[in-house]
Amino acid sequence: MNKIDIHNLTKKQRRQMHSWLRAAIQLLYFLFLPSAYTAAFAGVKYIFTQLGAGEKIGLTSFVSVLIVLCLYTIVFGRFFCGFACAFGSFGDAVHAIYVWVCKKMKKKTVKLPEKVTEKLTMMKYVVLAVIVILCFKGVYSQTQGYSPWDVFSMLHAFNFKLGGYLLGVVLLVLIMIGMAVQERFFCRFLCPMGAVFSWLPMLPFFTLRREREQCIKGCSACTKQCPSDIGLPEAGSMNVSGDCFQCQKCIDTCPRANIHCGLPGIKGNEVIFTIIRALILLGLFIWLGI
Amino acid sequence: MKTFWVRGVNLVLIAALIIGYNTVLTLRDKDDQIAKLTAELESANLYKQAVLQSQDAAASGGAYTNGVWKGTAQGFGGDIQVEVTVEGGSITDISIVSAEKEDGAYLSMAEDIIPKIIDAQSADVDTISGATFSSTGIKNAVTQALEEAAK
Repeated sequence: MNKIDIHNLTKKQRRQMHSWLRAAIQLLYFLFLPSAYTAAFAGVKYIFTQLGAGEKIGLTSFVSVLIVLCLYTIVFGRFFCGFACAFGSFGDAVHAIYVWVCKKMKKKTVKLPEKVTEKLTMMKYVVLAVIVILCFKGVYSQTQGYSPWDVFSMLHAFNFKLGGYLLGVVLLVLIMIGMAVQERFFCRFLCPMGAVFSWLPMLPFFTLRREREQCIKGCSACTKQCPSDIGLPEAGSMNVSGDCFQCQKCIDTCPRANIHCGLPGIKGNEVIFTIIRALILLGLFIWLGI
Repeated sequence: MKTFWVRGVNLVLIAALIIGYNTVLTLRDKDDQIAKLTAELESANLYKQAVLQSQDAAASGGAYTNGVWKGTAQGFGGDIQVEVTVEGGSITDISIVSAEKEDGAYLSMAEDIIPKIIDAQSADVDTISGATFSSTGIKNAVTQALEEAAK
């Protein structure tokens, strides 16, 4: 067995280590803390239901999860989306299986053209608006059985009593087809919680950024690799794209290693910093009692 | 830079709106409560009579047997087990004994159904929206326990 020297990894080894780390974090969150995204969004629904009914908005467990996740996202960017959301991880898995199958069958993967994806990005705001209006009008509870999230959560809890959930099941299957073809299909185009996150004023200190002056002219490797086709902000800029899931895939694809997301000033600490962020999130979840 | 500040200001505005909304409602609640208490005071005697009558009715008819009754029902991910305490023929306490497969945030939301059941002295109350599965589980478990208590 040849020993691996952490400090002198080849590019390929480093990429593998990063993707294994991400997969491991995602798997652990998927298995043990799968309900955070629905709980946070239940907070949004609760607030609008109360507003519509003219009732007081209490600090219920849903609202606390919502507030804490929003604060976390403001500080660290959408790390939760990229590493801890069960539905996002599910999408990554579906996409990975599709890519693997295509490779085995020696077929090219289907990809949506960029013009279409740009327009579809707006869909999530429509989804959010529709759900929020239904809650405000007090008729959301009549849509029981329509939500693909409910179906997914039930399957995850090994609850197979899906009678009355036909529309939810159909939607989930359609979403899975989308997830397979387009990486982060749901997160980017449909997720109502993602719509909320994308409007948050995310701080630029710990998010992904690149040192633009060292870039190869005309190279857009990071944008091509990005599941959201983002051109990253420059180091020192205040801009953080609302659609960046902080998945860090761009880090390994950059031929000049220009992209960083660690603590400013210290280079090459992405792995440790990723683990720290995951642990902080875990601590918050335990504190919230999810 | 600009986007960041626009988003920041939006967020502050939304938070301020919600807090303002809550404060207004709290003030209104206080006024309402004062009016309600005054009204209650006036009709205190009537109320007392009504209570006595209903207690009579409870004692002669559908009162529950004193004791601690257990019930189990399906929640979201598994079984929820509850204990219903009946004293003097009425439900005085409901506690959740086990709900291992329920999610914490959902279960604590669903527990709001317990005071509703105690108020109504019956499990026939509306479920908690947003935590439908877990609150339905609690409700059904209480129903089962009360069936035992009614025998």
